[in-house]
Amino acid sequence: MKILPPTLRDKKRYLAFELICEHDVTREELIREMFSCVGSLIGDVGSSKCGIRVLTFEDSKGIIRCAHTKTEQTRAAVATITHIGGKRAVVHILGISGTVAGATEKYLEGTEVFTF
Amino acid sequence: MARLQFYDLNVHSIPDGKNTPPEMAALAKHFGYAGIAITNHSNTESKPSEFEANGFEVFGGVEIVSKNASKLHGLIGKYRKNVDVLVVHGGDENINRAAVENKNVDILAHPMTPKDSGLNHVLARSACENNVAIEFNLDAIFKGRGGRRVHALSYFRKNVEIARKFDVPMIITSNAASRFDLRAPREMMALAGLFGMDKNEAIAAISTIPAGIIARNRPRSGFIREGVEVIDADDMDCDMNSEPDNELKEAGGSN
Repeated sequence: MKILPPTLRDKKRYLAFELICEHDVTREELIREMFSCVGSLIGDVGSSKCGIRVLTFEDSKGIIRCAHTKTEQTRAAVATITHIGGKRAVVHILGISGTVAGATEKYLEGTEVFTF
Repeated sequence: MARLQFYDLNVHSIPDGKNTPPEMAALAKHFGYAGIAITNHSNTESKPSEFEANGFEVFGGVEIVSKNASKLHGLIGKYRKNVDVLVVHGGDENINRAAVENKNVDILAHPMTPKDSGLNHVLARSACENNVAIEFNLDAIFKGRGGRRVHALSYFRKNVEIARKFDVPMIITSNAASRFDLRAPREMMALAGLFGMDKNEAIAAISTIPAGIIARNRPRSGFIREGVEVIDADDMDCDMNSEPDNELKEAGGSN
């Protein structure tokens, strides 16, 4: 299928985050927990409007994508994560950017994840 | 605009919570806070802890628990001199009322009773007169699920509305019992947005209002009484001609 012209594409924001957790977490566990938390806070309709998606997740750092008008709601929804795979965890948003490259360069490269 | 200083004035440590004050402080500092207040419940065995490390401040505080309003006033008198942040554990109609009527109280924590939001026009007026901040403990939102959270959100929404109308100071805290209950300042503001606090109110509730509470309870050295302060005498001599305005502004700003 032909790709939509730029004016019709959904505008996105990319949130760089770090995960602070007692144990290592896999991408699948994080995604499952994130969708359950987002779903319980804003519901299925809200989630679809937010368009939250985990793009990358490595070494406890990653990028979440969301709709450009919903960054605050996404922040709030992600802040409701308290456990991942039965272990206590906190997601900390490091910064928001309009491109994946921007988010990676500005906020992820060279940042140390908090360790206890 | 100057960089904002963020504070979380209701954090619990051992034996109330699971972590020690330095552990809580380390994560709070990482999240970008300028300081936290350790406010353990008064009915647990714990001393107010207070220290400063690498520009991060931990303020001594207490969360007073009492079932009886007259006993509460006694406890407030007992703790007031020793702590920077005095919080009253709300949630009971009489206690809420006693707390907002006492000038020595800084924060009324989680006023929601099982029946209602715990705040009405009478209490709000007293809270405004006595400058008692109403707390929005965001742990109810990020830790709660289902009906509990729904109630918390609707009570918070109501309280924001009342506090706004009567110009009551609002404050957002994590009420953390473990370091995993802490949230970064921007996340706290986003959570506050869920129940209708606007952006400026949320910023004030996590920066300027807590800073004001600390400033009024922890006078700078040289403080004599409100409005009267000794500015370092040596500095005055040498800087007299260069920048006298700055000195005056500093003295005025601390009130």
